[in-house]
Amino acid sequence: MITLKGVSYVYPDGTTGLKNIHLHIGPGEFISMVGESGSGKTTLAKLLIAEERPTRGTIEIGGWNISRIRQRDIPLLRRQIGVVFQDFKLLPSRTVFENIAFALQVAGAPPAHIRRVVPQLLEIVTLEDKAHKYPVQLSGGEQQRVVIARALVHRPKIIVADEPTGNLDAINTDEVIEILKRINRFGTTVLLVTHNRDIVNRLGKRVIVLEDGEVISDVKHGKYRL
Amino acid sequence: MVFYSAVRVVKFAVQNIWRNLGLSFMTVTILIVTLLSFNVFFAMSAMTQHAVATIKEKIDASIYFSPEATDQQVQEVQEFLRTFPEVKDLTLKTRQEVLTAFREKHKNNPDILASLDELGENPLGPTIVVSTFEPGQYTTVLGALNTPELQKIIEGKTFDNNQGFIERLQLITRRVEQFMLGVSALFVVIAFLIIFNTIRVAIYTQREEISIKKLVGASNGFIRAPFLLNGVMYTMVSIGVAAAIIFASLGFLDGYIQTVFNAGFSLVQYFRSHWLVFLYQALGVLLLTWLSSALAMRKYLRA
Repeated sequence: MITLKGVSYVYPDGTTGLKNIHLHIGPGEFISMVGESGSGKTTLAKLLIAEERPTRGTIEIGGWNISRIRQRDIPLLRRQIGVVFQDFKLLPSRTVFENIAFALQVAGAPPAHIRRVVPQLLEIVTLEDKAHKYPVQLSGGEQQRVVIARALVHRPKIIVADEPTGNLDAINTDEVIEILKRINRFGTTVLLVTHNRDIVNRLGKRVIVLEDGEVISDVKHGKYRL
Repeated sequence: MVFYSAVRVVKFAVQNIWRNLGLSFMTVTILIVTLLSFNVFFAMSAMTQHAVATIKEKIDASIYFSPEATDQQVQEVQEFLRTFPEVKDLTLKTRQEVLTAFREKHKNNPDILASLDELGENPLGPTIVVSTFEPGQYTTVLGALNTPELQKIIEGKTFDNNQGFIERLQLITRRVEQFMLGVSALFVVIAFLIIFNTIRVAIYTQREEISIKKLVGASNGFIRAPFLLNGVMYTMVSIGVAAAIIFASLGFLDGYIQTVFNAGFSLVQYFRSHWLVFLYQALGVLLLTWLSSALAMRKYLRA
């Protein structure tokens, strides 16, 4: 599903972001990626959605080499990878329904398809009754669930969640992780970048540890350790 | 899919204007002011050209022959002058016609008329009136008559008296044209800077929405299209308003302009017959807004 071969990334100022990363992530896996700030977790997430290009090495997603992806192909890639960030990135002037529909609108989906799909997604993230609320009227956890619903609109094979619970309290964190686990049970690969020790330990899934841009540990059923 | 995308592009474009109503108003206002300036210069240029053409029409040179010059000699000079490509028109006034014109001119001066009568015969020679395409060409044409043989039968040429005036007129015309060109170029630069900054601010206010569009898989074309459509909308509104103001103002001023230039010159008519100018201006404004949008968006559309 995702294969990184000798991937390195050097920032324009010369700082090394990632060093010779070799990774293989299979379909349907749930991976927790942990590491201290500046260890390269977010850089790796950015490489996967082609927000940055690797300085060296290759990244293949579903057999597609995206290391030197053309600008015009990036939207196609991003429709295949759902992205969830810590800072939500919701449009404040649009309702929950409209925020989710927005991702379908920009892809040219017909209105009938949008009317059919959005309620299904709201059901998955259990926000059916909040469809017409604005983001400001929702809790942090609810907002993050809207973001997850939006990330699922194109039925992606992969979800990249970069610190999705960073701004949430314990209850909301559990809700978001439960939704990610549910999505993973449907067969979607989930790459969770997190600092949260409890989450990683409770998940009991594969854990990749990054330090100074290198993979220092990759354990099938691991625990949080730094 | 293309149809739905097109509809949404229009929707986003209208939303852009609605959400940045103040900025949109400012952009259109600046465009209108720029267009008005251009058209004022265009009108000024038209009036200057018309004035110069009118004066040039009135300029001619007269070649006065001595009464002794034979018809054949005058005929030969006439034929010689016709060979010049610079010569636009040539009129021969016979001795009798010159005398009649002289009498008419001095009909209120009995002394001159009495002197003429006393002479008994016509003391005036024939005259050739020459006009060239450009005032600068008179020197060439008349200079060719400065041969010893011809100087025996030519008593005088009146063009020398007008030469200084023509040179001054040409200099003024050149200076006015250069000034207008300079001011127009300055307006283009100022308009570009103002429009570029206005559009940049409009795009800056939407950077969050642009980043979300990119995140959820919108193509750069889809993100860019509403801003390009805004350019079309700004162009249409600014050209429409500017044209309305120009025609209304010229309609009001035309009466005064016709008084100055005599009947036959109307700026409204001039603008109507040069309607393509508005098309060129529309293309110019569109190019300006699109270029500004493209430059302002470049930063937000990377990866």
